[in-house]
Amino acid sequence: MNDLLNQLRLVSDWLTSSQQWHGAEGIPQRLLEHLTYSGVSLLFAALIGLTFGLLVGHTGRGAFAVASVANLARAIPTFGLVVLVVTLAGLSTTPVLIALTALAVPPILINTFEGVRGVDPATRDAARGVGMTEWEVLVKVEVPMALPLILLGLRVAAIQIVATATVAAYPGLGGLGRFIVDGLSRNDYELVIGGSTVVVVLALLVQIAFTALRRVIVSPGLRVSASRS
Amino acid sequence: MNDSEPLIRWGWIGDHAGELADYTGVHLRLGLLPVLFGLIISIPLGILCHRWRWLYPPVLTVNNILYSIPSLALFMIFVKYTGLTERTVMIPLTLYTLSVLVPNVVDGLASVPEPVRQAAIAMGFGPVRRVVQVELPIAVPVVIAGVRVAAVSSISLVAVGQLIGQGGLGYYITRGLQLDFPTPIVTAIALIMLLALTTDALLVLAQRLLTPWSRSKVTTS
Amino acid sequence: MIRFDAVSKNYPNGTTAVDELSLELAEGGITVLVGPSGCGKTTTLRMINRMVEPTAGTVSLRGQDIRDVHAPELRRGIGYVIQHAGLFPHRTILDNIATVPLLLGWSKKKARARAAELLELVGLPAEMATRYPNQLSGGQQQRVGVARALGADPPVLLMDEPFSAVDPIVRAELQAEFIRLQKELHKTIVFVTHDIDEAIKLGDNIAVFRTGGKLAQFDTPERLLAHPADDFVAGFVGQDRGIRRLSFVKAGEVPLREGPVLTTTTAVAQARATDEPWILVVDDARRPLGWVEAAAIPQGGTLADATLTPLGHTFSLVGDSARAALDAALLSPSRLAVGVDVDGAVIGVVDAYELSAVIAVAKAEAAAGTTDGGDA
Repeated sequence: MNDLLNQLRLVSDWLTSSQQWHGAEGIPQRLLEHLTYSGVSLLFAALIGLTFGLLVGHTGRGAFAVASVANLARAIPTFGLVVLVVTLAGLSTTPVLIALTALAVPPILINTFEGVRGVDPATRDAARGVGMTEWEVLVKVEVPMALPLILLGLRVAAIQIVATATVAAYPGLGGLGRFIVDGLSRNDYELVIGGSTVVVVLALLVQIAFTALRRVIVSPGLRVSASRS
Repeated sequence: MNDSEPLIRWGWIGDHAGELADYTGVHLRLGLLPVLFGLIISIPLGILCHRWRWLYPPVLTVNNILYSIPSLALFMIFVKYTGLTERTVMIPLTLYTLSVLVPNVVDGLASVPEPVRQAAIAMGFGPVRRVVQVELPIAVPVVIAGVRVAAVSSISLVAVGQLIGQGGLGYYITRGLQLDFPTPIVTAIALIMLLALTTDALLVLAQRLLTPWSRSKVTTS
Repeated sequence: MIRFDAVSKNYPNGTTAVDELSLELAEGGITVLVGPSGCGKTTTLRMINRMVEPTAGTVSLRGQDIRDVHAPELRRGIGYVIQHAGLFPHRTILDNIATVPLLLGWSKKKARARAAELLELVGLPAEMATRYPNQLSGGQQQRVGVARALGADPPVLLMDEPFSAVDPIVRAELQAEFIRLQKELHKTIVFVTHDIDEAIKLGDNIAVFRTGGKLAQFDTPERLLAHPADDFVAGFVGQDRGIRRLSFVKAGEVPLREGPVLTTTTAVAQARATDEPWILVVDDARRPLGWVEAAAIPQGGTLADATLTPLGHTFSLVGDSARAALDAALLSPSRLAVGVDVDGAVIGVVDAYELSAVIAVAKAEAAAGTTDGGDA
């Protein structure tokens, strides 16, 4: 218990010392870097994942490929991939962003696909029956119904990106992981635990943001608890 | 990196075969023991959540929060208590598996058709016997689906543990970066994926053996 | 055998599923509980094996208050069959049937031998033993459900809409099989259905429930149709209960007249002389061949030359009911039903108007047996 209090004091000391809030090595700068990496890769991953997920889900073609890609992607060690990209392409942001994007596509792809595929065929039939075009069936029926799963996919992807962006500090990139990696190499435990705390807070904010988003944009008629897959 | 350096030097793998095998063993232990521990925790926890539904939302929320915490941060938080040991890697990995396993145990139990549950009660199964002999066996396919996801993710996450010196094959990832030499990195990634996919395949096989009833097709006769 | 004493089931939200039910079910018969949905029939059934506990009153089985028996133990001694069979998908058919014997601690060998017997009893081939439930059709699964309920040879069988999830043809098959089985086994059966036809077909006694969990009437099928206790029961047994009651009158009791029956060798002139619009043509053994319209027969020759109109169907004086006779009359081109004996030889004919007299007689007989005189 004492230990925990000590740790909390350590964190609050670190967080409140003014040097953490200024300059290129301060929390705002690191947070901005982290959010930039995460935001840009999530955006691209969403573009790719949603496009293919909706396409495959609506047409039903390529379902096996989607399942295989998702399964294979889960097995890739993200840490290894980021390090490999840096080793091969040198230390710059773009290759790492590409790696982060590649890691985030599968959860978005598979959940979007499953969401659209999971729409009751009778509902789809009814939509065509009332005279909707294929595009209208997709946009007005399938997407709204698939929304809980699509959001789940985006949430899982976002959480993965935020976590992996932390690891990206190891081969030399910025972001919140810097505090942890630098603290480790300098044996500065205060830095490590302070950095970890900021990362945890960010991750929780992402989680909360998605929960809130879900409340706002998912139709109340569909609010069943979507389980993670 | 030197431009003439190939992505992989096969000779290096041959030279390090014994060492690679050792690290593979460690990696498997670090990746799979958490799944086992996760299962040991999830089954009773899932049964409780299924029985008392009010328990499920808070458990799910805690799971989701744990799952969203980046592994590196979680490792660091545990370093203080468990040092730079294997436990520091395995405890967070165990916590991560819960976010997949608990919902799958609950969903698996919920997948037991109501008539089957009613029939079991009516035939005189007591509550414990009903869970053990009827509900859990029927939940096996859904639970194994969760174990597959948990095992694959866990095996690929172990590598991050290398940052506290306990990463199994992750050792070759940091080593390759230090030496600016891609072969160990590529080898490690390939081996980790191989381990993950082999484990996945073995679990599929295990499910077939455990649930001969679920793959039998409906025949009309 | 099974006794309900002022049994009620109320739920905390204020609904009453069963209201002060008192009922005694005889040993060795089929009692059908029937009524619209929400009438408490299933709740009543489930109180017998303590799947539902009554709020007030006592349920007793062979004179013993069932609350004195540990619930799982009580249930192992009562067979239970439900709508969707509820077979264990992870166990083979044989192991499904052996469930209760195994729970009772029989040896595996003995339990399986018993299960194999039951498989045969419900009319399933032995090779089904090693299959899994999802490899069977709905009707087959339901048979296995019945076999499983009979596992430990329980004296009491509870059946909750066991045949309502299968198609009508399979349902009729299962019902017939069930009647055959009961003739052999003489179980005390409580059977829940919402289908009044099924109730009349299977029940020795029928308890009609009304919404709100009140017993509206408890009677034999015949008396239920003849003397519905009130408008609710009359409405529930249906507008056509007059016709249904004919099911309980044996065709042998129907008064027949000789009718215009002539053999193929009869001369046409003679046939026309009968002054009947339709003539039934029979062979030497008096087996019916078809009807012929007298005015349409060509002059000269015998009836063998006439073009016959098909019979529709006949009714047998042995085995058929007056309902079959009425049906035959309505479908016949001459409006006459043809009654035949076991050999298929014509005994006589009857029309629908004459059949209505049978209903009147049946009514009067039923009235003579009543004490409430509630015949309307």
